[in-house]
Amino acid sequence: MSSATALRHQIEHALESRFPAALSPAPRTIRNVATTGIEEADRLLEGGLPVGAISEIAGPDSSGRTSLALAFVAQRTAEERVCAWVDANDAFDPESAAASGVNLGRLLWVRCQDLSAAQQAGASEKSVAKKSVSGEAKPSTRPWTRLDQALRATDLLLQAGGFASIVLDLGDTAPEHGNRIPLATWFRFRQAADRTRCSLVVLGKAPYAQSSAALALECAPLRAEAAGGTVLRGFTYEVRRGRQRFSPFAQGARKPPASTWSATSSWEAEKRA
Amino acid sequence: MNSDSIMKALYACVHAAEFPAQALLRLRPDMQGEPVAVLEGRAPQEFVCAMNRHALRRGMALGMTRLDAEAMSGLRLLARSIESEAAARAVLLECIARFSPRIEEASHGKSCAFVLDITGTERLFGPPAQLAERMRGALAAAGFRVSIVVSANYDAARMKAAATRGTTVIAEGEESSALAKLSIASLGLAEEQRETFALWGIRTLGELAALPDVELITRLGQQARGWRERACGVQSHMFQPIEPEFSLKEFCEFEEPVEQMDSLLFIGARMIDCLVARATDRALALALITAKMKLEGGRVHQCLLRPAVPSTDRKFLLKLLQLEIAAHPPPAAVVSFELAAEAGKSGTVQLGLFAPQTPEPSRLDVTLARLKAIVGEDRVGSPVLEDTHRAASFRMEGFAVGSKALVDNVDGPRMALRRVRPPAPVRVVPRASKPAAFRYGDTGFVVTAAYGPWRTSGCWWSAGEWDVEEWDVMAARSDGSSVACLLVCDHARNEWRLEAFYD
Repeated sequence: MSSATALRHQIEHALESRFPAALSPAPRTIRNVATTGIEEADRLLEGGLPVGAISEIAGPDSSGRTSLALAFVAQRTAEERVCAWVDANDAFDPESAAASGVNLGRLLWVRCQDLSAAQQAGASEKSVAKKSVSGEAKPSTRPWTRLDQALRATDLLLQAGGFASIVLDLGDTAPEHGNRIPLATWFRFRQAADRTRCSLVVLGKAPYAQSSAALALECAPLRAEAAGGTVLRGFTYEVRRGRQRFSPFAQGARKPPASTWSATSSWEAEKRA
Repeated sequence: MNSDSIMKALYACVHAAEFPAQALLRLRPDMQGEPVAVLEGRAPQEFVCAMNRHALRRGMALGMTRLDAEAMSGLRLLARSIESEAAARAVLLECIARFSPRIEEASHGKSCAFVLDITGTERLFGPPAQLAERMRGALAAAGFRVSIVVSANYDAARMKAAATRGTTVIAEGEESSALAKLSIASLGLAEEQRETFALWGIRTLGELAALPDVELITRLGQQARGWRERACGVQSHMFQPIEPEFSLKEFCEFEEPVEQMDSLLFIGARMIDCLVARATDRALALALITAKMKLEGGRVHQCLLRPAVPSTDRKFLLKLLQLEIAAHPPPAAVVSFELAAEAGKSGTVQLGLFAPQTPEPSRLDVTLARLKAIVGEDRVGSPVLEDTHRAASFRMEGFAVGSKALVDNVDGPRMALRRVRPPAPVRVVPRASKPAAFRYGDTGFVVTAAYGPWRTSGCWWSAGEWDVEEWDVMAARSDGSSVACLLVCDHARNEWRLEAFYD
């Protein structure tokens, strides 16, 4: 036994009553990962998004959060797994999902709504038409109803089990509201996701789950690509790894690693093919 | 043919006395320990037509008026329900059909009775006494208190069952002694004949059987031969079996309108138990359950339960019923409650070690029902794209794990939209026939690049006409941040709308 090892054992033995295994590194947990379907993102994440944990994809509008989440869900449904999309602001676009390769038959879409507004709408359809014509249709002024619905729905789905991936879409929720979600909720989600081997992906303008998230990604828009000044061909986004627990490799760099990736339009892909 | 190999006829009579009361109390275990009487007739001339044993002990008698009955303290009075009796009769028939397919109805007055031909069932159910006990146990589980008599003679079994309690087996050749103590009224004689026998001092069947055959026929005619043979337990009978129709239905009528859901579910739980038990007996499961509630004022409220796979899980079905009633509560108090189920084959799932994990169907049903209760009925499911060129056209369909959809092969990530629902009208400032700036809510945007227009139109022949011009727009806010969005100029309405953001 080398002198360094002997010295380490001696120190650990002396401190054992107060700090068990004080100088031994904690055993590393290596989680299963599931591919996102985007090569650049998979390289950055060393395989993909973690299974049985919370991943956060945060960023401003038009930063590629939804494209990344859809690409991930497309990969999961292609493996004949079942996924769910909990849509706090009813912003999910089935056409985009189908174009991204999501098997819509294997996707459960939960569309949250402002129930009081919906009841009013049901009571008088005429008044709704009048509202939309007069330009009063605005994003809900009562975000708590929708947020509460989304959290309760996510809780139910996580407890039910069997879903390979659940996307909690808070992409249009204001950060001041998202930040007020209790930490206990995220902690419960983390436990449930771990137990049911479900990848819970949280889309938002900012990271909300904090220490409960196994992975946090920050997205940002880089540029748009156009053809002939009249046709939008695609976008290039940047994705930055903000936090990654259970990484198989040590994170030595001070600045989080980043990568760029491109999302193209359907017609552009057809043209290439 | 060897005489031992010829099977001797054997009959079992199942007799449910006071059937109007039993039919009402069967699904009400809370009332089974109380004295209950059932009233028949139009108010105010109602009279007691049936009662349970607790009421009988209190001195209640058939034919008492409502006024007399109400004078007795602690007595609960219920109105007779023919529908409940029909449902209970079907259940009783269903239960006894498990022991023999050959059944003849022998109901008389306010009792419900069936005689089963149990010839040759010894190998299946054991000796007659054991069969009778098993049958009584099965009927008790379904909520019936019955007496069962097994005899080689049809009439002996029928008459003895009406006069005794519990189970009795009459050995062959001892029918006469078994019937000896029964009242002569068991023969169902007319008033005139009963008076004649009363004058002669004949009160029991044993006394009738002891009369000389020829003298009796001389005085009362040929029909007296049949009475005497029945009293001796030797009359032969042509068995006429009925063919019960299999239907899973339970019905309960309340004495007072019920407003609380808990009370409904209390009855519903018992009904589901009975339906599941009956379906399980035939190796079936409940596929579709219809809950029909008759409301005050004559209206009918209906709920449908559709489990993903036919199920016999009581707790799961009750939870579904609870969630369905909570989602669609009856608009008024409930007067009667009916559960009817369609039978289906029990679902079998082939599991695999390497098959991907999917939600358990029954648990998924409950989860979906709970989600619908949270966000709304039509806002949970799988989206299905409509076959149209109109943008953002889809419909919601119920979510099922096994459903398949056509999927395009995709070789890389695609641009995705986040829809603004409903599309927000915006004020657009055009320049050189392109959008140059617009305002959404309180935020002003300056367009840095606009790609388009994409013109689409359709359905000009109907009210759903659209004629729009789409613009993919890169816009900057005043704080310098930029967004990519989809603006639409609706020519039909002459307005600009913000349809979606690229993300």
